[in-house]
Amino acid sequence: MLLRYWPQSTKIKFMSLRMGGALLSLLMITASIYFLAMRGLNLGVDFAGGTVMEIQQTETVTVETVRAAMPYTAEVNSAVGTDARAIIVVKFGAADPSKLGDEFTTLKPEAQAERAQQVTNDIVKETLMEKLGLTDEDFLRDDSVGPKVSGELFRSGILALVVALALMLAYIWFRFEWQFSVGAVAALAHDVIITLGLFSLLQLEFNLTTIAALLTIIGYSMNDTVVVFDRVREERRKYKKMPDRQVIDQSLNMTLSRTLLTSGTTLLALFAIFFLGGTVLRGMSFALIWGIFIGTYSSIFIASSIVLSLGMDLNKKPAEDVTGFQGVG
Amino acid sequence: MLQFPVWKICLILGIMLWGILMALPNVVNMSGTPAGVPKQGVNLGLDLQGGVYLMMEINPDEVVANRLEVFAIDVRNTLGNKDGKTLIGHLPTLDGRTLNINLTRPDAEGNFPMDEALARVRKLNGGVEGAIGGAKTYEIAAAGPAVIKVTVPATSEEALMKDALAKTMTIVRRRVDPEGVSEISITPQGNSRIILEAPGEPDATRLKSLLSRDGKMTFNLVESSPSAISAAEKGVVKPGYRLLTGPETGPLLVRNIPEVTGADIATASQGYDDGNRPQINFRLNGNGASKFYQTTRNNSGKLFAIVLDDTIMSAPRINEPIPGGSVRITGTFELEEAQDLAAIIEAGEMPAKVQFLDQRTVSATLGQDSIRAGVRASLIGLALVAFFMILAYGLMGIFAVGSLAANIILIVGALSGLGATLTLPGIAGIILTIGMAVDANVLVFERIREEQRAGRSPLTAVQAGYERALSTILDANITTFIAAAILYLLGSGPVKGFAVTLAIGIITSVFTAFVLTRWFTVIYLKGFKPKKFAL
Repeated sequence: MLLRYWPQSTKIKFMSLRMGGALLSLLMITASIYFLAMRGLNLGVDFAGGTVMEIQQTETVTVETVRAAMPYTAEVNSAVGTDARAIIVVKFGAADPSKLGDEFTTLKPEAQAERAQQVTNDIVKETLMEKLGLTDEDFLRDDSVGPKVSGELFRSGILALVVALALMLAYIWFRFEWQFSVGAVAALAHDVIITLGLFSLLQLEFNLTTIAALLTIIGYSMNDTVVVFDRVREERRKYKKMPDRQVIDQSLNMTLSRTLLTSGTTLLALFAIFFLGGTVLRGMSFALIWGIFIGTYSSIFIASSIVLSLGMDLNKKPAEDVTGFQGVG
Repeated sequence: MLQFPVWKICLILGIMLWGILMALPNVVNMSGTPAGVPKQGVNLGLDLQGGVYLMMEINPDEVVANRLEVFAIDVRNTLGNKDGKTLIGHLPTLDGRTLNINLTRPDAEGNFPMDEALARVRKLNGGVEGAIGGAKTYEIAAAGPAVIKVTVPATSEEALMKDALAKTMTIVRRRVDPEGVSEISITPQGNSRIILEAPGEPDATRLKSLLSRDGKMTFNLVESSPSAISAAEKGVVKPGYRLLTGPETGPLLVRNIPEVTGADIATASQGYDDGNRPQINFRLNGNGASKFYQTTRNNSGKLFAIVLDDTIMSAPRINEPIPGGSVRITGTFELEEAQDLAAIIEAGEMPAKVQFLDQRTVSATLGQDSIRAGVRASLIGLALVAFFMILAYGLMGIFAVGSLAANIILIVGALSGLGATLTLPGIAGIILTIGMAVDANVLVFERIREEQRAGRSPLTAVQAGYERALSTILDANITTFIAAAILYLLGSGPVKGFAVTLAIGIITSVFTAFVLTRWFTVIYLKGFKPKKFAL
């Protein structure tokens, strides 16, 4: 229609670029593993335990006054919060048990470990309220997570990722063939590792919403890969004599304008969240924006090239794809 | 693919009507409409309306220990003095999760009456509630010639925990919401945890202090002879007594065995004294009132301590026998403090102390900020996507945007209709759906373009385009749906909200893209019969 700058049919030889792609991916994966091993992830309170407070910034309540009023060591920074509100972000772990009062030190060691974070949080909040004249309303957010729960959340987050990958593998195997399923899941693992590497490199906070973002990236990347695979399967059956490499290139070119359009609209929506959705969603939308790029890249250079390397044996199965779902509409 | 019989059109219109009806309360006030019309909009999560989330846990060790402590008193009563035969001299001792009963009275030959003791203790052992086959609550066995060990086996521990969790939940409810009017939700998680969600602007510190007390209330007589007090202060406490203190009274020697306990209290409430200062009133039940009357009649002139969690709240002097069972505690209470104490006293004693594992507070201000930011991001995202689609596909783009608008109505309607909770990540899920929903449209439109380029007429190109794109659309959306389902099953709180909107969004976008847009297209093609389909 109006957008006619995109050529009607492209003839990019993606598969001849695949060695370059493989090299780039290998490089990124190596770098990611290096960063994850050397710097680790900047775990948020959800997974590391601890407290994060957001306090409304005013003339008397500033980074300096909050820092001066803090009874224990804490990270105190100013930030722009949701809806452009000026806020102060305070982060701290559990204080040394000896500083938490007589009542606390009489508790059993296990009970101390479990309660320290909450007790520290209560004391900090009370102290700040007293010294700076704050009320409950001035604390915009106050999250404090004990060590037991943070450990559980981390394990269930990792479990969710692993289960998701396994189910995708099974679904693709069921709908296509094992070569496709290997290609798709390798692409997903590639996306997850490189995203984790980026979070480690930039030391972005890794929390529950990041896990949600990772799962969505998996879903999106899978979506993209399936669209390409569907076309590959169709073309493979249509042109029985054509070499695999050519079939895959042709399919990638045929789906290219769809890939770009969908990525484009999704990115537009995501940029809206990133810039306008406030601090809470910034990490999540950043991960998703990155995921769109990496997901699109991996369906071409990882998923499809693995299928090319492993070869297809679609001729063994009778054609049964489209008819399987006929009649739904 | 291009046939739309009347029933199909009715179904489409019906679904859309349902979506609009369900979504409407979010936009306009529906009070005053006839019954049957939905009036409830989307439930907002705590992160959007502000509130406190608290995760609490009761410790199994403590539950078991508390039960064994109660059992110890029964054991002492049965072994201590029955039929004139005394088998033990003091209370059994608790060691972690084991109760040790030491027999202290050997017979003439130096043998301990183990069989007799075992028989008596075993008689006290009740069955586990709800257990099949008569499993017993305690495991009672001799350990050596003079020692009996009592432990709690795993099956009975499970029942004890269940019972303790249910009791704790009731007490939590009665403490935080004595009037039973607030929207606080209290739900169990697993067999040892309770999640409390209090929307609005509650005071987290006050909630925690309300819940962290045991709530063990007793009325004890006080030993006020000066010699006993001075001896106790030197560390020699009179047997059967202990030294407790309170802000109003200072240290006092209090009898170990209470005269009246929290179980005897029928109701407690906050009231005012003659000087209009807050006080706590309570009323004892029949049994408690008669015990109270007896005690006050027999101990005229003594101090009578009212003890809560080992702190003396008040210790008035008994001047005359008090009948009727009405008691009040006066002191220098703040109004809120008196209200909270009354709620704690009335709710009763916790089976075990609760520990707070996870606490999240969001102020109502931040909640409103988040809603505003979320709505703005959605509208701008929607406008951008709509502009882009029309730019790329012209008239078909307009059809797609119409479907997209219908999609959003359906998502909001489904969220309201299912009573799902909308969280901030949930809003992100909707925006993401806006972006991804057009994917199905794009897949179809690209196919139609290809078919047209291959020389087909508009009608057959549309037909073929939809047919060929179907399996791709389903495959692609089923995989995303799997990810959403896992997020829902394994995620928590706000993340669950994200999973719900994502899952609903996938279903509604397949419906709107594949059915609604197709219907629009068919109406257009049959109405205008274009020679060439502009796409």
